[in-house]
Amino acid sequence: MNNSKKIVFLTLKVFAATGGIEKVCRVAGKALYERAVVNKSKLLINSMYDQQCDADENKYFPSEIFSGFGEAKISFILSSVRAGILADTVIMSHINLLLVGWLIKLINPKVKLILFAHGIEIWGSVGFKKKHMLPCIDVFVPVSNFTAKKIMDVHHVHEDKIKVLNNCLDPFMPLGKEFSDKAVVREKYGFKKEDIILFTLSRLSSKERYKGYDKVLEALVKVKQQFSNVKYLIAGSYDIEEKRYIDEMSKKLHLEDAVILSGFVPEEDLVAYFSMADIYVMPSMKEGFGIVFIEAMFYGLPVIAGNKDGSVDALRNGELGTLVDPLDVDAIEKSLLSLLYNLETSAPDKAVLLHHFSFTQYKRNLERILNGTKPASAN
Amino acid sequence: MCRIAGMIDFELPAAINQLTVENMCALQKHGGPDDGGIFVSQNEQLILGNRRLSLLDLSSDGHMPMAYLNRFFITYNGEIYNYKSLKTELLHLGHQFSNQTDTEVILAAFAQWGPLSFNRLKGMFAFALYDQQENELYLVRDTAGIKPLYYSSNTNGLVFASEVRAFQAAETKPANNPAWPIYLLAYGHIPEPVSTLQNVQSLPKGFYLKYELHTRSVSIQSFAHYSFSNQISDATEANQLVAQQLEQAVEQHLLADAPIGVFLSGGLDSGIIAALASKYKNKDLNSLSIYFEEKAYSEKEYQDILIEHLQCNAYQLLLNESAFNQSFPSILNDMDMPSCDGINTWFISKYAADNGLKAVLSGVGGDELFGGYPSFNRMGKAILLQNLPGFINQIGKKSKYKRLNRMSYLQLDGLKGLYLFLRGNFTPHDIAQQLGAYETDVWNIVNDMPILQDMPCLDDKNKASWVEFNMYMQNQLLRDSDVMSMIHGVEIRVPFLDDQVIRLANSIQPETKYAGALPKQFLIDAFVDDLPNAIWNRPKMGFSFPFAKWLSNSEYVKALMENGNEQSNKNFQNFLSGKMHWSHMMSLVILNHRKAI
Repeated sequence: MNNSKKIVFLTLKVFAATGGIEKVCRVAGKALYERAVVNKSKLLINSMYDQQCDADENKYFPSEIFSGFGEAKISFILSSVRAGILADTVIMSHINLLLVGWLIKLINPKVKLILFAHGIEIWGSVGFKKKHMLPCIDVFVPVSNFTAKKIMDVHHVHEDKIKVLNNCLDPFMPLGKEFSDKAVVREKYGFKKEDIILFTLSRLSSKERYKGYDKVLEALVKVKQQFSNVKYLIAGSYDIEEKRYIDEMSKKLHLEDAVILSGFVPEEDLVAYFSMADIYVMPSMKEGFGIVFIEAMFYGLPVIAGNKDGSVDALRNGELGTLVDPLDVDAIEKSLLSLLYNLETSAPDKAVLLHHFSFTQYKRNLERILNGTKPASAN
Repeated sequence: MCRIAGMIDFELPAAINQLTVENMCALQKHGGPDDGGIFVSQNEQLILGNRRLSLLDLSSDGHMPMAYLNRFFITYNGEIYNYKSLKTELLHLGHQFSNQTDTEVILAAFAQWGPLSFNRLKGMFAFALYDQQENELYLVRDTAGIKPLYYSSNTNGLVFASEVRAFQAAETKPANNPAWPIYLLAYGHIPEPVSTLQNVQSLPKGFYLKYELHTRSVSIQSFAHYSFSNQISDATEANQLVAQQLEQAVEQHLLADAPIGVFLSGGLDSGIIAALASKYKNKDLNSLSIYFEEKAYSEKEYQDILIEHLQCNAYQLLLNESAFNQSFPSILNDMDMPSCDGINTWFISKYAADNGLKAVLSGVGGDELFGGYPSFNRMGKAILLQNLPGFINQIGKKSKYKRLNRMSYLQLDGLKGLYLFLRGNFTPHDIAQQLGAYETDVWNIVNDMPILQDMPCLDDKNKASWVEFNMYMQNQLLRDSDVMSMIHGVEIRVPFLDDQVIRLANSIQPETKYAGALPKQFLIDAFVDDLPNAIWNRPKMGFSFPFAKWLSNSEYVKALMENGNEQSNKNFQNFLSGKMHWSHMMSLVILNHRKAI
């Protein structure tokens, strides 16, 4: 029952950034903390880049079990190796922590090494040193089957060493009942009651344009011909170049009145945004998993996602939403129209969503991974 | 404040399970003398039971288990101090209420926010909430762990109760945990999550257990916790904030529709609580104190100064040896789990009940949050000693000097070793001798549980605060406060453990919080204008009794120990000749008493 008595969880950042990987680290940290309390085992969480005070008043786990090294890399490595060699299991949240794991394994081969794999950081080939160190990993834990396949194909890892652990809904996500009246929320944010709102939540960066919002804009031209009241709300911080790009594109496509860039949205306002939207659309091409899809579905939004990355897992192969070729504007347009004509009946099945992506399920899956594998050295 | 019990069972007929829960409630009736009730779910697989002590809305509207929207059902023990503001918010969101209790607010909050509602409840609570539509049961316990909740789960279901004794009524009575005497002798109490019964454990504080009846699956999740930080460093600012927050907490803790009072030991913490309470109660404030004929233990002098200063309605009980002797066997029976403290709380709670009070404010928590124990100064040295080579700490293993003797505990890893070195009772060597066990087995059991996390970045004094709060206060003071007050149908409230007060105290940096010449100088500075000098400028006495004398004269103790085995006799002789400390003797008396039952 309790194969992993002492766990050391190594991270790059947990609190000092708001990206998907940090989200996973916070939730995984909470899951591991609760596991430690319930199973009566020990847990230590080390972060290379967070300051210790970044963990103050966090909701996920007591800051006493967390050490933030604030970019003191040598100190982080020494401390993590020292703790890691005395642990039963060491979990690395990112491939960039491989060196620490490799050193731990070198000193104590009995320690089980687990590597979380998210997306693009592991999809491509890695440098010589990392390539040399990768075999020290006992279990690869990718967030999706897509990332799992990449690990097998690119890094030639045997499938027996790979256990997929899909991301989950953050247990602190509010139910959002306060926002159940769509009309009221829309009015507050300057929309009309009769508007139909398509929503994308994404950082807009001219350097990593893979979220597919430009394809949605193109698809929107024809959609508007049938649904003139459609608006496209893109939320998230943007760089000037990208804003200019979207503004110019909107102008060219005569969509200036339909496209709204809200800029950065604080975490606590996201419920309102999800609540006033009608469809979540993001035909992305490089999602490791796409937590935002399950968040949108949690608030009842039908979802359109790309079929060429980890989004396939988030939408359960199309069971929960529509998967499209992210480069095919016609396909995006058709799926948008299909949803718009059937808006009342397109909500995702919440029972299926929670069955697969609740925090409780995540903990059960994590438990199976922690208990179901043996260190390579013991094989 | 009440007592709760309940079960989920998929095998036995509902009538048998209902009887079991009724019996479990009956075993806890002392904690809920005013009313009782049972709820059976539609599918008859779940039973909730309650014994009620009414403090808010004394009418029958407060009857429990209580329903909301005919979907949510609750059996609840505790007080929610922010229920009025939550109620206003929920009314605004369209919820309707049929009574004036905080119980209904918990239900409406759950209907609105689901499990996220638990972190909005500020107070002390342990409850079981059933969502009939989803067929899910939630067991929930407050973040400071003030209210107890024990449970046992297996493939056939789940059983839970406020007290361990209630499990005696279960259809299949859980077996005794053979390790409990080892924990009692090592700690002087049974540390969470251990209990005296096998497979019965306490729910961790700030956690909830969710039981999905349709899949028979259990998950346990944290909803809140307390952590230290260094956010506040300015002493003046910190003093002002603590003074404001504690005053607000006391005001909220005085909320009751039944008579309420304050314990007044004569010390700083209870003095502060009483002084703050008197601002809201004026001369209507009831104070309760115990004093002794034995001058060395009596704090009457300080109690009198405070009573004069506050002009309150004072009840002072002279407790003498004969009253102690008369009640001691009953006190031992009234303990839920064995604990070598709590006798003081038993007497003062009885005194409160005898004088018609139903709730009493206590100063528990002040020492743990603000550095009132010697362990705060000793922690740094203990850590140094722990880092010495193991054999050095073994030197004092057989020594008659308690502290040298306890050095052997430093071979245990991390905070557990430090805590037992600073606070432990018998050492594993002595426990093995007392119980006729192998020392290695004793070490293994002590090592096995509880597990305390390593906290590498925590300041030494905050480490002391952590162990005092989470070990001594949690397992001894709070459990004794709960059990020994409820046995008399009285509720003890602890304003120092108000959610905001704890969060504030934990956010003050150690150099500010533990500064000063006197212990708890910080608290003295914060309330210097509210208390007479004599109260804070005095030696600390704690809340102890002349136990050494009373135990050695007690006929009951004499008979119990002399009728025991050879070791027991020897122990008593050692105690009489001054070779054994009374706290060690007390643990052995409790042990022998339990064996004799």
